[in-house]
Amino acid sequence: MAQHREEKTELKTFSEEQSSLWLIALGPTIWALHFIACYAATAVVCAKLDRLAEDGWLLRAMIGTATAVALALIAWTGWRSWRQWDFLDDRDHVHHRPVTEHRHEFLGHASFLLACLSFVGVLYVALPAVFVTGCV
Amino acid sequence: MTDTTDHRGRNPGGRNEPRDAAEAHGDAYPPTDAMLDAPVDPDFAKASADRLRAAWKTPTGWRYLSAVNNSEVGAWYSLTAFFFMLCAGVLALLIRVQLAVPENDFLPADTFNQFFTMHGSAMMFLFAVPMFEAISILLLPAFLGARDMPFPRLSAYGYWCFLIGGVFVLGSVLFGVGPSSGWFMYPPLATKSEGMGADIWLLGLSFIEVASIAAAVELIVGALKCRPPGMRINLMPLYAWYVLVVGGMILFAFPPLIAGDFLFELERSFDWPFFDPERGGDPMLWQHLFWIFGHPEVYIIFLPSIAIAAMVIPTAAQRPIFGYSWIVLSAVGTGFLSFGLWAHHMFTTGLPALSLGFFSAASEAVVIPTGVQIFAFLATLMVGRVTWSVPMLYIAGSLAIFTAGGLTGVMLALAPMDWQVHDTYFIVAHLHYTIFGGMVFPVMAGVYYFYPFFTKKQMSPRLGRWAFWLAFAGFNVTFMPMHFAGLMGMPRRVYTYPGDIGWDLPNLISTVGAFVVAAGFLVFAWDLIRPKGRQPYTARNPWGGGTLEWSHDVPDQAWGVRSIPYIESRYPLWDQPKIVERMDAGRYYLPDAEEGKRETLVTTVLDAVPVQCLRVGGPTWITHLAAAFTGGAFIFPTFHWYPPAIVCGVLAVACVIWWLWTGTARPPEKTHKEIGLGLTVPIYVSGPAAPGWWGMWITMLADATAFASLIFGFFYFWTASADFPPDGAAHAASGWVWAGAAALTVSWALTRYARRANRAAQVGIARASLATAAALTALGAGAMLWSAHSAGLDPTSHVYPATVWAILVWTAVHVSAGCIMQLYCLAGSLFGKLTPEYDADLWNVSLYWNFMAATVLVSAAVVDLLPGMI
Repeated sequence: MAQHREEKTELKTFSEEQSSLWLIALGPTIWALHFIACYAATAVVCAKLDRLAEDGWLLRAMIGTATAVALALIAWTGWRSWRQWDFLDDRDHVHHRPVTEHRHEFLGHASFLLACLSFVGVLYVALPAVFVTGCV
Repeated sequence: MTDTTDHRGRNPGGRNEPRDAAEAHGDAYPPTDAMLDAPVDPDFAKASADRLRAAWKTPTGWRYLSAVNNSEVGAWYSLTAFFFMLCAGVLALLIRVQLAVPENDFLPADTFNQFFTMHGSAMMFLFAVPMFEAISILLLPAFLGARDMPFPRLSAYGYWCFLIGGVFVLGSVLFGVGPSSGWFMYPPLATKSEGMGADIWLLGLSFIEVASIAAAVELIVGALKCRPPGMRINLMPLYAWYVLVVGGMILFAFPPLIAGDFLFELERSFDWPFFDPERGGDPMLWQHLFWIFGHPEVYIIFLPSIAIAAMVIPTAAQRPIFGYSWIVLSAVGTGFLSFGLWAHHMFTTGLPALSLGFFSAASEAVVIPTGVQIFAFLATLMVGRVTWSVPMLYIAGSLAIFTAGGLTGVMLALAPMDWQVHDTYFIVAHLHYTIFGGMVFPVMAGVYYFYPFFTKKQMSPRLGRWAFWLAFAGFNVTFMPMHFAGLMGMPRRVYTYPGDIGWDLPNLISTVGAFVVAAGFLVFAWDLIRPKGRQPYTARNPWGGGTLEWSHDVPDQAWGVRSIPYIESRYPLWDQPKIVERMDAGRYYLPDAEEGKRETLVTTVLDAVPVQCLRVGGPTWITHLAAAFTGGAFIFPTFHWYPPAIVCGVLAVACVIWWLWTGTARPPEKTHKEIGLGLTVPIYVSGPAAPGWWGMWITMLADATAFASLIFGFFYFWTASADFPPDGAAHAASGWVWAGAAALTVSWALTRYARRANRAAQVGIARASLATAAALTALGAGAMLWSAHSAGLDPTSHVYPATVWAILVWTAVHVSAGCIMQLYCLAGSLFGKLTPEYDADLWNVSLYWNFMAATVLVSAAVVDLLPGMI
């Protein structure tokens, strides 16, 4: 079975990616951290720092910065997983064969999709700071 | 047989799964067609089948109840959950009778309160979540061609806990002492409520929550480590993906509720004022902790049910699922996003406008992954040749109802809309549409679809269609009018209403509909349990499915699979032509039970290369004893009978120790074992390659989440009140806090050192380290508690000392468990259970202590450093 021998050589190539299961969770985790940061910053500023809360620009600037950082990190995750998916190489988006290459590309594909979702999720969460000017 | 002097029964270095796991097997793995075509000697086939059958034999007579096999425990679990659902459904009918006409006096107000509280609590905690665990315990091993779950006795323990807790909680309503503050138990109504109803809710359900976490640990380890050889992560059945995601969600969702229950019960029993504003507390903290659990919980029950759809739809369409990666995206994405929604239950509590915006936005965003999976299902149906079966009927009904519920959900995610209809029947209609469509109908589809697998018989398609149309029509008749009643302003949870404000008609229609739903469930229940003795056995693969569960034996065999196959496809029964024949012939792995022990295969996480032959526990009574005493420890405090509760707690710990000592990580009689097709794997592994280590890791993740929730409470009180800590408050004594932390940190280091010394065969040093560590743990725990006591912190005086005490008590209890573990390892070393070669216990205990070190340092920092800084 040539397929199996092919698999063994690939095993060496990709043996460094034991941790790539975590890549799947990376995009959503950044989304979660961004979400918590926005929520916590708003809660603390609105409850504790009355003067800052009055004109909300500092809070909104903080949220804007956090959003820029989160989007950059997610974009980087997305780029990494796009490379791992390597779609343009063989146009494979099904990954149903029992070979390491398919497992490798599948994890890249799923991570890429999750990075896209997390990107949109971060934009959604940041939007209120564009329209709402303060705590009240 | 491999040379045993070269290979110890553990993986080299013990740190990671061996990278070269596949290469270590040489040419024998993966198996070639030639190997798989070689005939099995008929004498051996028969003898090995007999041995396997004997090892997995289900106990008979009254000993049947001592069974721990997933097929027995799963069946009891799901029937019990179904029974609790029927009870909660009866309560719903009584509620509807009371509301049928205005000014009705069928039920007194307090009884009505108990009924709706119990209806919601039982449907959530005694039906929806346990049903997921029950079905997964039944099905997951079959999807994975595994013989059993990795920790069968843990499932059995979880089941008996669930049964005891469920009967206790549900039974209270028969004595008129049930909880009556609504299923989310908001303080101060619930903290101040008279009688024991609230205590029954808190303690009874905490007990069941612990069982849920146990099931989550079991299912995650099962999906990651017990897949058949070759089933790489990209070939895993979608159900397993959902189980993985939902298991992870349980780990992060249930602990905040457990932490909340802990605070709540401290307030009710000992008057520690966490939720009492007069002494600095804040009832809003409970709302946060409850909904950090409560919202993900909706998805915890929705995802595994939709996972059933992901198994039924490819079979109905007779083609692989369309967009496997997209469904994985959807499951994982929903799992994460669903945690960002909790405050949308709290839109009317006066949160800052910006915060409302975040939660509103996240609530809208979660629609994206949910929609993606529904479109993937529709696409699969469109490109396949659909055979219209009863399960598909239920799936179609569920998609229709769930979509309607999802659309009202999008409306409610907008804060201004929510302000208008908050706490009205519009909410009641919305939540029933999502849960009926998202959970009840898919589960019913699953019951029809998997019934031939469970019982080897068929349910009646005619009764199935009757049940469906009654339930579907009745559901819409019941809940559609509630939207209008809600928009007309009818609040939820009122026990009656006046007759002249236009609510009469929608309520009457709803009541009629409720009885039609009930008729549907009666038909369904009858079809489920009616005797089918004279009916012929079902065909082996009646729906033409492609996944491994349809290789089951008809009539039933307790062994799960005759031999564990090598998998090369997502739908092996469609793509691997001879697979069932070879499985039956015992051509694949583990076709034998030479030693008469129950065994299953453990494989690597990503590529499912076999790494261990895991021996799992057989029938036992110890799980019943442990569950009974655990039950006592939780149930006696509701009557404020603390001495028997403490005795039960001690006995429960003793039972668990005995169970672990006699049943887990015993040194095997040989290091390796031949599992067929020329493969030899270790019987005993320790560290990260072992399922037990994963179990510990996952449990501790949940534990750390609960601890983080307590710490969140500390910060929450600080942001929410102007005087936290109050001026001139007493603080925990610094010296004692840090003395305790230092002793416990050294204890942690010694535990880790003991592991290394033990492995280096310096057994004496290892024992001395463990003994010293245990002594230091006891001293450290004492010092931590003394720090608060000596400073005169009175937990009933104000929320600040109460919070400090809660954090210190939590820490002390946890390190005390760690002390028992250190002594357990010491005893193991002295009595030959734990040796330099066989050291899994010590690995797991060191892992526990890694978490303890973090807990101790965070506790010390929060109680000592933070009050000075804020």
